[in-house]
Amino acid sequence: MEISNADLTSIFNVVTSQNKWMVDLHMFTAAICTIIFMVVAGLLVAIIGKFKTSENDDGSEPKQVRGNVRLEIIWTAIPLLIVTVLGVLTAIVMLVVNPAVGSKKPDLIVVGHQWWWEYQYPKYGVTTANEFYLPLGQNSLVEVRSADVVHSFWVIAFGQKMDAIPGHPTNMWIHPTKKGLFLGTCSEYCGAQHGLMRIIANVVTPEDFETWIKAQAAIPVVSEDAKVLKGKELFNAATCVQCHRVAGNPDANALIGPDLTHLAQRKTIGAGVLENTPENLAKWVQNPQTFKPGINMPNMRLTDADAHSIAVYLESLK
Amino acid sequence: MHKPASAKAPVHPLDTNLKIDRNILGMALFIASESIFFLLLILAYVNFHNQYGTGAMAAWHLDVFKTGMFSIALFASSFTLWLAEKAHAKQSGLAIFWMLVTIALGTIFIAGQAMEYAGLIRENLTISRDMFGSTFFTLTGFHGFHVIVGLILLSIALFIMTRGKHQHEITDVGLMCVSMYWHFVDVVWIAVFSVVYLWRFVQ
Amino acid sequence: MTQGALHEPHKPVNWVADVPEYKGILSWLTSVDHKQLGILYVMSALGFLVVGALLGLTIRLQLMFPMGHVVSQDSYNQIFTMHGTTMVFFVGMPLLFGFAVYLTPLMIGARDMAFPRLNAFGYWVYIFGAIMLYFSFLAGGGPAAGWFAYPPLSEKGYLFNSGQNYWALSLFVTGIGSVATGINLIVTILTMRAPGMTLKRVPLFVWMILMDAFLVVFSLPALNAALVMILFDRILNTKFFIATMGGSPLLWQHFFWFFGHPEVYILILPGWGAVSEVIPVFSRKVIFGAGVMAASTVAITFLSFGVWVHHMFTTGLGFAPLYIFAVTSLLIAVPTGIKVWTWLATMWGGKLRFTVAMLHAMAFIIQFTIGGLSGVGFAVIPIDWQLTDSYFVVAHFHYVLVGGMLFSLISGIYYWYPKVTGRMMSETLGLWQFWSFVIGFNGTFFVMHILGILGMPRRVWTYPLGMPGWAELNFFSSCCAFILVGSIFLFIYNLVWSFYHGKIAGANPWDAWTLEWLADSPPIAENFERVPVIRSRRPLWDLKYGSGGDGEDHHA
Repeated sequence: MEISNADLTSIFNVVTSQNKWMVDLHMFTAAICTIIFMVVAGLLVAIIGKFKTSENDDGSEPKQVRGNVRLEIIWTAIPLLIVTVLGVLTAIVMLVVNPAVGSKKPDLIVVGHQWWWEYQYPKYGVTTANEFYLPLGQNSLVEVRSADVVHSFWVIAFGQKMDAIPGHPTNMWIHPTKKGLFLGTCSEYCGAQHGLMRIIANVVTPEDFETWIKAQAAIPVVSEDAKVLKGKELFNAATCVQCHRVAGNPDANALIGPDLTHLAQRKTIGAGVLENTPENLAKWVQNPQTFKPGINMPNMRLTDADAHSIAVYLESLK
Repeated sequence: MHKPASAKAPVHPLDTNLKIDRNILGMALFIASESIFFLLLILAYVNFHNQYGTGAMAAWHLDVFKTGMFSIALFASSFTLWLAEKAHAKQSGLAIFWMLVTIALGTIFIAGQAMEYAGLIRENLTISRDMFGSTFFTLTGFHGFHVIVGLILLSIALFIMTRGKHQHEITDVGLMCVSMYWHFVDVVWIAVFSVVYLWRFVQ
Repeated sequence: MTQGALHEPHKPVNWVADVPEYKGILSWLTSVDHKQLGILYVMSALGFLVVGALLGLTIRLQLMFPMGHVVSQDSYNQIFTMHGTTMVFFVGMPLLFGFAVYLTPLMIGARDMAFPRLNAFGYWVYIFGAIMLYFSFLAGGGPAAGWFAYPPLSEKGYLFNSGQNYWALSLFVTGIGSVATGINLIVTILTMRAPGMTLKRVPLFVWMILMDAFLVVFSLPALNAALVMILFDRILNTKFFIATMGGSPLLWQHFFWFFGHPEVYILILPGWGAVSEVIPVFSRKVIFGAGVMAASTVAITFLSFGVWVHHMFTTGLGFAPLYIFAVTSLLIAVPTGIKVWTWLATMWGGKLRFTVAMLHAMAFIIQFTIGGLSGVGFAVIPIDWQLTDSYFVVAHFHYVLVGGMLFSLISGIYYWYPKVTGRMMSETLGLWQFWSFVIGFNGTFFVMHILGILGMPRRVWTYPLGMPGWAELNFFSSCCAFILVGSIFLFIYNLVWSFYHGKIAGANPWDAWTLEWLADSPPIAENFERVPVIRSRRPLWDLKYGSGGDGEDHHA
């Protein structure tokens, strides 16, 4: 898969400045928890070793101990101290990682749909789907919304996730510190294909980002190739335009399904389900239910030739 | 034979139990539980109350005066029920009379609610119309349902009373449980009436 | 049933199958006796445990390999919904109610519960609710929105068959039964204790049940309010949770979790109570710091109503609203941790007997600690932002619910089985069951911590190829799941085998100290012929040694 060279999908893979703070806090907390666990486990092992009833026990009762005020105070005070420290660190990291938005406008708007992601760049007037780019070294403000049910936007190596709740937009900041390809996933059960609603994030240099976003804003040049034109005709006729928008194709204006304007540039189809190759695209177009059963795009019942033709058109949309 | 209503088994000198009749305690806990239920329905109403287009403006559709009158019937029924309890404790025949009055007043309240519902629905203000409809009918509807259950309880208590002293008799405790429930339903209505009908006079 | 002072002297019965009052199925169907109802509750819960475990095994089979196709995505979503709903409402709740209604009267020296008919009502309403929910599969399909059914997904527009309606209605009905039982338990404990048994002298199990019952009485109505709203949205077209019409999906989350968080404490408290009885007996020591144990439980009961938003940390409510709940969630860890130290201190200096009941209690301590510590991690909001809704949280709650609740109540079953049936459970079978349970449980769920760290979200019917470690860890987890389910079957087999072949137990096979061990095994219908005056939390210790039941220094 083209996304097989993605960066390690792990919350401990620090690729944003936000996640650096979160991982540091996490390591500190994990260390404390590990120590506490070792104490409990160690005590239990010692107890098992020391106090097992011996075979020649005389049957007497051991010394009955009702309590020990000093011990009880210690084992209340120390945990209280620990949670106080954790509480203070929690506040600090929260404020650093998710500061108030104020009146700043979002750089990226993420809209969760059943079962794909829409990405809008309001400052550039760009809308795309299922794959997005961010510039390295800039603290981008991301607004997360939903078009239908509750979803959650989580690029694992970026650190935090943020829910997409209809009627209640949420915000997060992403300040990437490493270039690369990062994978994510929807993280709130949203129905049939919650498991295959993947997120593909690219972090590139600011210059490359400018190049990319300008290309996204541009209308793709449709080649004059007969095959491509035939495919476009079929695309328009076979109800694809009822759901999909392609800038530059005046018949294709619907906003129900993912925007396909620059589909050819994306690495995957179907929100991360298939690698974006002509063969895969043709199969997807013919019957996406084979790969992602239950999604809103139906079995289009196209012939192999028609599907192939449409795929040729779509692959021309660079 | 007629047993004095307050006869109890002798209590052991080292008994440390709560000195509340278990039925009364049970009813009190039930009331506490139902209070949480109503609290959440009220919170839902309040949450959506200030929404544009529904909520605050829609509440102006309500006839505060008419519903106020019917509310007085409900509040009065609590008073008459208290009179019934006192009469029953004295083993007076007036107990049955005051119970009848209580049930009548409660029924008047329900009739008033029904008329109010009918009027709203005729004006196309239904439960499914908007947030106000959703929260108003759910909240007052569940209250009305609890009133109807209360009327049933009161009727059963009344029926037992009419059986006379030589058959099963309703005890002071039994009547008290029913009356606790009825007073609770009343108190809930004070809260609901204030929040739903009277709030606009405060804004 | 015998009554009053004129009953005939009865023959001693040492096997529950020989109890004359229990003969015939009608006696069980119409019983208002707390012992029969307790047995019915526990047996029903174990029956649903098998169902829930098989549902869980199906989940693990589907997730065993990437892009698996053991079941369709629609079936899978119904399966995990039913798995969670069954385990919480048809296994957890009835299991703890069964323990509570059976043991409470015996432990406080009462003849039955305060409201025996209400007790029966609670049980039959649970059965009715459970059957009604499973009936949904015959009526067009089961619920498929998960056990907490977030709207808008649970609304008619997205899940249009009647499964969600059945889900809401069935839980509404079952919830009413739970509140009834909660009320019954509180009134029983507050008004029917034996002479001399102050609230400071009730067994810790009874104290936990008292707190538990308060949690039930005050949190289940919140669930019912939420269920009413979702039912009305679906059936009467109200707009409570429909954002496009002014409703709020977040309102559901608030209302549900206001119930949902106390619910998980409802599930764990009785297990803590059981372990607080088992550990002292098999350490031969009084419980350490009983007063602090009791006080910490009160603290937890109150605090548990103030932490619910920690299930909503990623919903963008703003710094202050979220942080308050981080503070309360961190705070609630302190009284919880105190209990672990108390159990360890009780064992320290004792004479340990490693019965199967004790083994389960010790495994509980380790596993509950793991689950509790991962919970503390989640209270640190930035960690929650990373790991919520991933397999890390699936690991967390299975550690506290299975590793915690189920292990502790199974410990209780091994401990109290002799009292209920008159026979001992097989220790040999028990050892096989215990070790397969420990290996199966930890193998299945420990690796889920790692899967969460590596980014696997929860409630997914499958996952792609090529994710780091996902295939290997899922495969391992699924293999261990077979061992786990096998151990559950082995447990049930032990229950059945021991019923017919277990050694006759006698009144007090463990030389334990609380009042239920004074009664016969199984107890007579009235539980006790005579109840002694209570002078401490361990009445039988006092009867044996004259004093020292509360742990005043004693060398026998």
